[in-house]
Amino acid sequence: MPAQRDSALSAPAVSAAFQRWTIVVALVAIWLVVPWFISRTVVDMLVFTGLYTIAGLGVAFLLGQCGIVSLAQSVFYGIGAYSTAYCALQLGWPATAGVALGAGLSAAIAVLVGWPVLRLSGYFLALATLALAIIGHVLFLEWDWLTGGTLGIGGIPPIALSGFELNSPVRFYYFLWPIVALVVWMHYNLLNSRTGFAMRAMRDAPAAALVLGIDTHALKVKMFVLSAVLGSVAGSLFAHYVSFISVDSFGVDRAINFLLIAVLGGAKTIAGPILGALFITVTPHALSRLGDIHALLFAACLILVVIFLPGGFGGALRDLVRRLGRRRRR
Amino acid sequence: MSGTLLLQSSLVGLTNGFVYALIGLGIAVVFRGTRIINAMQGEFSLVGGLFAFLVLERLGLPMFVAFPLGVLVGAGLGFVIERVFVRPARRRGASEESYLLLTLGLAFAISAAVLYFFGRDSIALAGIGGEGSVVFFDAALRVHAIWLIVISCAVMVLLKLFYARTLIGQSIVAASLDEAGAATVGINVPLMHSLTFLLGGLVGGLAGVLVSPMIAVHYEMGLLLTLKGFAAAILGGLANPFGAIVGGITIGLIESLAVLTVSSGYKDVIAMAILIVIMILMPHGMLGYGRRKGG
Amino acid sequence: MAPILEVRGVSHSFRGLHVLRGVSFSVPAGAIVGLIGPNGAGKSTLFNIISGFLPPDSGTIVYRGTDITRQPIPARSRAGLVRTFQTPQVFQHLTVRENLMAGCYKQGSSGVLRDLIALPGSRRDVRAMAGAADEACERFGLTDVREQLAGKLPAGQQRLLELARAAVSGPSLLCLDEPSSGLNSQEVASLMAALERLNRDGMSILLVSHDMDLVAVAPEINVLCFGEIVSRGSLEQVRADARVREAYLGV
Repeated sequence: MPAQRDSALSAPAVSAAFQRWTIVVALVAIWLVVPWFISRTVVDMLVFTGLYTIAGLGVAFLLGQCGIVSLAQSVFYGIGAYSTAYCALQLGWPATAGVALGAGLSAAIAVLVGWPVLRLSGYFLALATLALAIIGHVLFLEWDWLTGGTLGIGGIPPIALSGFELNSPVRFYYFLWPIVALVVWMHYNLLNSRTGFAMRAMRDAPAAALVLGIDTHALKVKMFVLSAVLGSVAGSLFAHYVSFISVDSFGVDRAINFLLIAVLGGAKTIAGPILGALFITVTPHALSRLGDIHALLFAACLILVVIFLPGGFGGALRDLVRRLGRRRRR
Repeated sequence: MSGTLLLQSSLVGLTNGFVYALIGLGIAVVFRGTRIINAMQGEFSLVGGLFAFLVLERLGLPMFVAFPLGVLVGAGLGFVIERVFVRPARRRGASEESYLLLTLGLAFAISAAVLYFFGRDSIALAGIGGEGSVVFFDAALRVHAIWLIVISCAVMVLLKLFYARTLIGQSIVAASLDEAGAATVGINVPLMHSLTFLLGGLVGGLAGVLVSPMIAVHYEMGLLLTLKGFAAAILGGLANPFGAIVGGITIGLIESLAVLTVSSGYKDVIAMAILIVIMILMPHGMLGYGRRKGG
Repeated sequence: MAPILEVRGVSHSFRGLHVLRGVSFSVPAGAIVGLIGPNGAGKSTLFNIISGFLPPDSGTIVYRGTDITRQPIPARSRAGLVRTFQTPQVFQHLTVRENLMAGCYKQGSSGVLRDLIALPGSRRDVRAMAGAADEACERFGLTDVREQLAGKLPAGQQRLLELARAAVSGPSLLCLDEPSSGLNSQEVASLMAALERLNRDGMSILLVSHDMDLVAVAPEINVLCFGEIVSRGSLEQVRADARVREAYLGV
């Protein structure tokens, strides 16, 4: 992969801050206004884009910052979904408790599994996470007393905020995207923090990172846990949004889609996972008349991006913006 | 647990073991020649098996034409994939993780293409010797399974001879160990990489035509086959040609014993757990030697 | 002066081949100590054992009076034992400045959760890292290439960057593995000056090299040959030693 800059820590102060606030205000305005102009189906797609962004982001920073290819995200997505479904239907707990339980469970499993597995690296680690995805899928299928197997679980109640039910795509959209923004902001913070430097150091030269006092194994486990929590939260929200979940939603193909979000969108950029998630959501809809062709198209995109566009869509977009900026200055 | 049941399931495990061994052999072949772990090895088999089926059923040609054609298609696919995808990636200085993403992408693409053009149904292929079987102490073994075992062993011996005795085999190994050095002594390194993938595709296609009559061709079969083959190759040690066979049989037997004692639904869970444990505890395999580089 | 590092009877073998046989030597606090030897003498193995990349078969490593033989690498680093590598290990996709910022990792304290929500402590850490990195750029003459990607630098500058990064991480004992290989004579001279400056600032240095000219900065030199220390003393003393001549020249 060609060397490229992957930090946003160089900004001529005032104009950059002004620019940043302009962008934030514009994004908020777009967020508020968009549902007025689009159909319910499109709002629904934007909800899925948000859900996939959260889960895909977890895969993206592992890939971009730590150099870990993770195909296990579908497992945590599933744990989040089943936990909250169980809490809501069997225990009658509110959604917050379900989301928290899922996140806690995912974090615990990520530590237990990650501790040994993250001793591996490269091909071995990637294939180990793929094996985990398969294990997770089979267990979801076999433990049908808990998950309902292929028949699934229905009737999961929508999230209620002090009596106000998020029972339509538009309501859920307004609720979800601030969470997405929060997660993206946290990702940005992490990249530009001491931990961010430690991650990139570990990715580029693990031995040198150790010598600088970075406990690389512990750092990898922490990041894996963080990634798992994101996957789990996305899964819980997904369950409350669609109200019906089955094991089909948590298979290997879902894990592949999350990886696609990271790779296609550009794992090293802030906007990458959003672009990736948008692509993953919109394309199948746009091509729905052609049957299952989108899977083929996704795979083709993955191949082309890996060979020709190592920075993904996000990287390409950033390069374009830079080039335009440079031209304007001249 | 009756003795017959145990014997019967051991025979099933043994047969499956040779299937994994063949896939593992293909992975080892590609790794030896290019230092790439080929995540689409199972898809060579999917394509080989599917092609053999088409020739056999749709064109109505006999088995001795269809099976070799399936194998050749696997080989051709390997060659084309190296030329069209792997080589440009190499030219752009791909890292280990990009090769992995690339071969995974190819695996998804082939799987998705099979789904798109042939649908979700499993396709059953007739075996060598039809449905005939041989009976040992009340336990049956299909004639086709015996052929599978014999051919697998033959492939392993031939591969060993190929690497040890032929100039091309030695050149392939040399090109992967030291590209610059191999080029200096006049070895066409890019050609060796292409031949490696051709050989990997050949072994994969062969596995495909031999496996398909036993497990039925299905668009999703590739990934799981790849992982189990990979487990076999790692368990035996990637560097050792006998490794894949030993590793494959071990995994096949454990898997079938697990089915007998736990439940058939957990078969893949057990195989995948074994894969993870092997990678952590024995990265050099049971018969392996030398330190794993990179990896 | 009390030694900062003591190597006591370290032995190691690879598949029955004895690479190190009971090696003992020490680095006095505040000193520069050289370790030289012909190729295959076991320098790299010894160096990996001292820095924690390899456990010895037997023997102990004592750092500031504590046995660190089994201590993991990051713990050694926190205690102030930092090494460089024979082939420079820069963070290729980071700029020179970012490399140096990563070098200040130990000086910061903010954890993952604080970093996620960018609490003041987290930002303060990054500002402090940036300040220290800029200062190090000045001190090591890297200001001109500050914003360049480390992976694109020529070998000599990569080596200098690695040294600077090790220096900003605040070591008490700096272990350098062949720091002069790949450098031209002018770069070697400035490297020597930098080492003497670091030493004046209070850093103890263990210098592994086969470059006799560079090792001249060390008042005390240990000569390692076939896994044993065959001679020790000043450069003149060592040069005069018959066993050293035999080892290097084979006469």
